[in-house]
Amino acid sequence: MQQQEIHNFLLKYFQANDCPILENHSGYMTVQLTIEMDKELMNRPFYWHYLEKTGGIPNPAKLTLITDPNSVPEDIKGEIIHFGSPRLHQIFASTKNLARYIRLYENHENGSRKTPLLPWLCLNVKISYQCDRKRDVFKSIGLQLINGQMVENFHERLLNISLTPKIPDYSFTLSPLVKPKSGILRIENYLKSSIYQDDHSWAEEARKRWEKDLRLLEHFYEDIEEGNEAYETEKKALQEQYEPKIKISFINGGLFYLTEKAIV
Amino acid sequence: MTVEIEFDSSWQDEFLQRIHQDGPWGNWELVRLAIEVEKHLVIPEFEGLQAPKHLPNLTPLPHQLETAKQVIENMNGKAILADEVGLGKTIEAGLILKEYMIRGLVKKVLILVPASLVTQWSMELNSKFYIPAVSQKKSYVWEQCDVVVSSIDTAKRNPHRDIIFRQNYDLIIIDEAHKLKNNKTKNYEFVQNLKKKFCLLLTATPIQNRIEEIFNLVSLLKPGHLGSQTAFYEKYKKDSRSLNDNEHLKELVNKVMVRNRRADTGIEWTKRHVETIPIDFSDTERELYETIYNLKNESDWIQGSSFSVMTLQREACSSREAVYYTLRNMLQKKENPTQAFKDQIESLMKKVEAVQTNSKAKKALELIQQINDKVIIFTEYRATQLFLQWFLKQHGITSVPFRGGFKRGKKDWMRELFQKRAQVLIATEAGGEGINLQFCHHIINFDLPWNPMRLEQRIGRVHRLGQEQDVKIYNFAIKNTVEEHILKLLYEKIDLFEKVIGELDDILTKLEFGNMEDHLIDIFGASSSEGEMRIKMENLSSMIEFAQSMKKGETHAAAGNS
Repeated sequence: MQQQEIHNFLLKYFQANDCPILENHSGYMTVQLTIEMDKELMNRPFYWHYLEKTGGIPNPAKLTLITDPNSVPEDIKGEIIHFGSPRLHQIFASTKNLARYIRLYENHENGSRKTPLLPWLCLNVKISYQCDRKRDVFKSIGLQLINGQMVENFHERLLNISLTPKIPDYSFTLSPLVKPKSGILRIENYLKSSIYQDDHSWAEEARKRWEKDLRLLEHFYEDIEEGNEAYETEKKALQEQYEPKIKISFINGGLFYLTEKAIV
Repeated sequence: MTVEIEFDSSWQDEFLQRIHQDGPWGNWELVRLAIEVEKHLVIPEFEGLQAPKHLPNLTPLPHQLETAKQVIENMNGKAILADEVGLGKTIEAGLILKEYMIRGLVKKVLILVPASLVTQWSMELNSKFYIPAVSQKKSYVWEQCDVVVSSIDTAKRNPHRDIIFRQNYDLIIIDEAHKLKNNKTKNYEFVQNLKKKFCLLLTATPIQNRIEEIFNLVSLLKPGHLGSQTAFYEKYKKDSRSLNDNEHLKELVNKVMVRNRRADTGIEWTKRHVETIPIDFSDTERELYETIYNLKNESDWIQGSSFSVMTLQREACSSREAVYYTLRNMLQKKENPTQAFKDQIESLMKKVEAVQTNSKAKKALELIQQINDKVIIFTEYRATQLFLQWFLKQHGITSVPFRGGFKRGKKDWMRELFQKRAQVLIATEAGGEGINLQFCHHIINFDLPWNPMRLEQRIGRVHRLGQEQDVKIYNFAIKNTVEEHILKLLYEKIDLFEKVIGELDDILTKLEFGNMEDHLIDIFGASSSEGEMRIKMENLSSMIEFAQSMKKGETHAAAGNS
């Protein structure tokens, strides 16, 4: 992420959470946190607990974030934000945490024509391939809950569609034939079967490394009668170090009601 | 080939519940941002380092990056980092730790370091690597914090020990790991029993050790890598001095060890120029010194503590203020002082008062005016430090004080003041990494520490990576005093000042003759004649010289990247 991207991201994050932007210059911004966002980011539960007990006037913090230290006037004090800064990662985590589940309707332009909207289940996941090393793949899968159509890169497609949290006038939703629960299962199976077809030489090699170290370990403890505990610990450590695993974890997902033509 | 696939099901339960309850639903903007974030955080390749992208304020050197990559990609995260001193092993360890944390392979980390380095390690990890490392102070820290720094001596004792064994650490880092060379010690046993998924052992001097010690260290990291104990000793003689005799063994060791040498890093080091400046006492100063010197012979008044006499003698070579301060303390601390004791102190105080000038300070002033550039003055004594500050001010020279005991923020502030406003920094303590003074290249050793490592640390503040000038070192020594003996017989003889950083470290570790200071106190305090003292000093310096010559023979043969 470039500093400019970080700057834009922060702006969008605070705006999406209804925090007034008091100052916005290239290089830094000052935002007024809402009470909710103060609790989310400032990590001062005692203050809020105290305030709620005593009925004092809440005074949520202002935050000045600097994204380009070189272009900031000297009298501006704030937190310098870069891709590695803990504050940014806290905000990343908060973003993901605040947006785990969604339901939206297509904001179509069919006017007063009666428009049916088809239910889609969207899952955005991260697939991690892990042994003593790790790599990840992001996937967005959409499943139409009536005819079972499966679409990859679903999120990218949604970005081109105008969406709204309230069902537009003269629109009605079709009830799903596939229940969301079994929809999730279908996507799970789809992901798994496509993963099985992947190249897994990375896992094979990790197993070889594991096997090799295990043999050394056994040889080392060959002539030590007692001390089995140390042997077992080391053995467990090797398993944790090398055992290849694939993890599918959720970023977010939800239901989208779209017109027939939206996804072709 | 089948690999187990874990599908996180915790998400769907809540999803189904929200459908059931018709919400609450998230904000579309945030969902899109979350995915944008995720795409930036996803790491599509097994290889390569992500950490540098997260550390815009740190510029690792090429050999440090190479080491981090090597450890993760070719050593599977278990390695001995054995760079020569001054090449940044801590940075390498930090890079590796950061990389694993970014990739989500490591969460829980235990860092075991000497007690004196605990704070420094956690500060460096926090400030340089944005890793929330915590120094262990309370016992709940083990369980509640993910990255904990502690001394091994604390960790191995209960109740800590039991709590630690219950934790599931992903990475264990041990600094100064050469202290774990003996497999019969409690420390060794403790580390051996820790579960080491990933593990880094940091040491500067692994290889000059005996073959047995190498076996122990490697077996701690990767048991069986050098075979079982019996098999190993059948093959190699137990007390064989080094690895040099055996190519195969050397190769094996290099599979789990990275050792960068200064010469291989391609970093240019500037030179050190050393000048000894002999100084004559004024008459009153001489008298004070002689009076103290003669106390040795009537020793009962301070319970025969040659240490105290020695301290006073050294202080007399520094400043009358230092002597005064110690005398006052002696009087205050003594319970029910006898009249004789009081009289003795009293008469010494008189001698102190009689001293009106400080010959060294005069010389320092002259030198500073002549240098006309930034200068660091090191002294062993607080009282001297205060006096010098006052003295320089009288002569229109700006100075700032520096002490090891300063809090982090104050240290940084003083450094800043020195860089921007003051000409002179007067420091009592060299210790404490992180204060780097490369912008200065003149050092005055107003008095000399008796531990050569301390001296090396002093010089190391200035003569380090990033120093562009040759470094000038001025050593003050009062003629015909204990100070001159130290300088002439020890430091000059072993060319201490000319050494490259790190060499001394190697030499002293190899000697294994214990605390240098103890030897010196013994020599100066217990020798009954000048002659005896001279002979003992000769012996000491020959030992160091001997170690040095052995080292030279080994330099190229040691199992590094030769």
